[in-house]
Amino acid sequence: MAELRKPDAEFPAYDEAFDRDGSVRPLYAAIVERFSNFDTAELRRREGIIEEEFRRQGITFTVYGDSQGTERTWPMDLFPRLIAAAEWREIERGLSQRVTALNRFLADIYTGEGAAMADGVVPAWLVQSSDGFERNAFGVSVPHDAHCVIAGIDLVRDAEGQYRVLEDNLRNPSGISYVIENRAAMTKAFPRVWEDHTVEPVSQYGRMLRTALESVAPTGSGDKPLIVILTPGIYNSAYFEHAFLAREMGVELVEGPDLVVDEHVVYLRTIEGLVPVDVIYRRIDDTFLDPVSFRPDSTLGVPGLLGAMRAGTVTVCNSIGNGVADDKAIHPYVTDLIRYYLGEQAILPNVETYVMWEPDQREAAFDRLDELVIKPVGESGGYGIVIGRDASDEELADARAEIERDPRNWVVQEVVELSTLASLCDDVLEPRHLDLRPFVITGERTQVFPGGLTRVAMRKGSLIVNSSQGGGSKDTWVLADGAHSNGASAQDAAR
Amino acid sequence: MRLDIAYRLHFTYAEPVSESQNEIRVRPRDDLRQRVLSYRLTTTPATRVLQMRDYFGTTVDHLGIRGSHDDLLVLAEASVETTPTDETPAPVSCERLDDQQFVNSHIEYLAPSQHVQWGELVNEVASWAVRSAADDVCERVLAVAQAVPTVLTYERGSTAIGVTLEELIDGGRGVCQDFAHLAVGMLRCTGIPARYVSGYLFALDETRPDHDADGDPDSAGISVQTHAWIEAAVPGYGWHALDPTNGGLVGERHVVIGYGRDYNDVPPVRGVFNGAADAKVDAEVIIAQPTAPVSMVTEPIRRQARVAVSPPADGAAQQQAAQQQQQQ
Repeated sequence: MAELRKPDAEFPAYDEAFDRDGSVRPLYAAIVERFSNFDTAELRRREGIIEEEFRRQGITFTVYGDSQGTERTWPMDLFPRLIAAAEWREIERGLSQRVTALNRFLADIYTGEGAAMADGVVPAWLVQSSDGFERNAFGVSVPHDAHCVIAGIDLVRDAEGQYRVLEDNLRNPSGISYVIENRAAMTKAFPRVWEDHTVEPVSQYGRMLRTALESVAPTGSGDKPLIVILTPGIYNSAYFEHAFLAREMGVELVEGPDLVVDEHVVYLRTIEGLVPVDVIYRRIDDTFLDPVSFRPDSTLGVPGLLGAMRAGTVTVCNSIGNGVADDKAIHPYVTDLIRYYLGEQAILPNVETYVMWEPDQREAAFDRLDELVIKPVGESGGYGIVIGRDASDEELADARAEIERDPRNWVVQEVVELSTLASLCDDVLEPRHLDLRPFVITGERTQVFPGGLTRVAMRKGSLIVNSSQGGGSKDTWVLADGAHSNGASAQDAAR
Repeated sequence: MRLDIAYRLHFTYAEPVSESQNEIRVRPRDDLRQRVLSYRLTTTPATRVLQMRDYFGTTVDHLGIRGSHDDLLVLAEASVETTPTDETPAPVSCERLDDQQFVNSHIEYLAPSQHVQWGELVNEVASWAVRSAADDVCERVLAVAQAVPTVLTYERGSTAIGVTLEELIDGGRGVCQDFAHLAVGMLRCTGIPARYVSGYLFALDETRPDHDADGDPDSAGISVQTHAWIEAAVPGYGWHALDPTNGGLVGERHVVIGYGRDYNDVPPVRGVFNGAADAKVDAEVIIAQPTAPVSMVTEPIRRQARVAVSPPADGAAQQQAAQQQQQQ
């Protein structure tokens, strides 16, 4: 039998499957039992099925600048992550609340009066000095204020098992295709696991996203708005996902040169002539969108697109300038923004974050930098992060000097001992740290897609889960309530 | 003073091009100092023009010609009433520049921007410029504005867009945009918020802009051109305008189009077209008082037009692959 190691009793992290005294949590009882009955060879064989499935479908991700070749097969660990129905409902409420407030904030900045800044909830200078603050976004309004149609919110669980928000991703969060493909691979490798569990399906994503995109079409688009996905092209690491989503939604996948603007209307070039486009789900960065108004050397964008957005003849999703709201320096203010716009207490707390431009917080952080996590606000993908307890004195002194030189560009966070879950490493199932990126879709209303992408740090003790830094993933199950939704997972299996 | 301005922008191409898309920022601004009596923009061939105010409050005309054309004419006509400048602000101690609230409310105009990045050399030149100025923000601003013409010599066509401030100082020559950028950089690096102003200046001598702009508008020989100058934020006063190219004050013959962190926020023209043709872009500005004889000057707007030929001829595929990979 394969060994399923329990977490060390004195290990500070919350384990998803085992409680402090080493007993299996009821949520995981059936899955632990099932996995305990596989021997290592069997697990390896099934792991092979998963790998083969991803390779066959060409599901890869790209590590830029990696000398060993940039394409790697998507790594999925075979031990699934489970979330109980009641727990998920709470997460769902918290995420809807958060994304609603963040959308209000974006509308307030770009098409509103800047009320949150005027009322001192968020300092105006902080907004104005954000790299994500896009002056070209002024005058671009979005139906239902859905500036962020697709958000990916990174959650972690602290030592008490409390879910906390680590980061918001409001620009072009990627990863949804992996959620769906992980489920498909799981179904192939473990066709019988569904006997014990009823799991919320994930196959409806295309329909859900399409409905949201249709609902943000400009008024006058008619019942059947034309939606396209604008991709940078085949060399982009997420191209697979762009093609995947186009197929799932039944819409055209286009590149910049496929579109043309005439008198502030965007058209798709087709063999039957020009067809007006209503909604563009774009997967290229803001500054490449339109060479007239942004980077003049962009070969990916559509000249005149900003004019069309300002004219209100087309909706671009996610809208431009969203980076101001997912700036790591704005993150500590989101709890206040929820209270300000919605009059509610935040359901999901933030990871405790200190801003370095407030002298009190900075001094307090400097006193215990070796216990904290230091993050540059402008980086993503886990780059540039200094984890205090792993850093040398010299690294800490350097970080401190950097912070003093430019306090606006650093935040310092409490360490969260990310929760752990059994993962197959070197022939044993051993606890590894993980996080969760659920996807939140906003059109006429805000909805949370069941589950999300669980990312796992495959190196023992590591807290860095990013796939660009060797992280893996797990199929994530939101368990359905009661027997009435039985057959949900069969829906995924039938695809 | 009432001024009637006609800004004529003429794109001509060696062979037909298509899908031209442009943003035009030439409409004078409405503010306390000047009032726009009328503004009209027309194009040949005709197209629908979308007029918007941008983040900085500058009016932008979005326009494009999709079909094949070898010639595009844009004509903007404006009438403006300007008033004489306010007197120089009263002395203000430089200590007030450090006030956190003042710093925060001018953060955009204190930070480096695309065309205004500075290093040691600019720091040195700036300290040298204010070396004998008293503890007075206004005096420092004036000292900087007056120092710029001693560092740079005005020379039409001497620089291209994208030169750094360091290169400017080394080269010692520039046009009004360079004078403005250098002044903005010198002010920012000494902690004085500064912004770039785009506008029109009419003056007596059409060959040299670095003269006193105090001519009589009714006399012959008045000329006008697009011009750039600066504004510095003075604590307790507001924005104080100075013209570093002329080393002096800004008067009623300066007509403001708009301002921004640097040129890039208020270029008169920005656009692209599709085609391999060489583009020739000519802009001319006419300022005329209805009763006075019209005189005009033509200046190729080499630096103001940003015309990208798309797709780029060299290394296009490589550039495209690189850009595709950059997307997050």
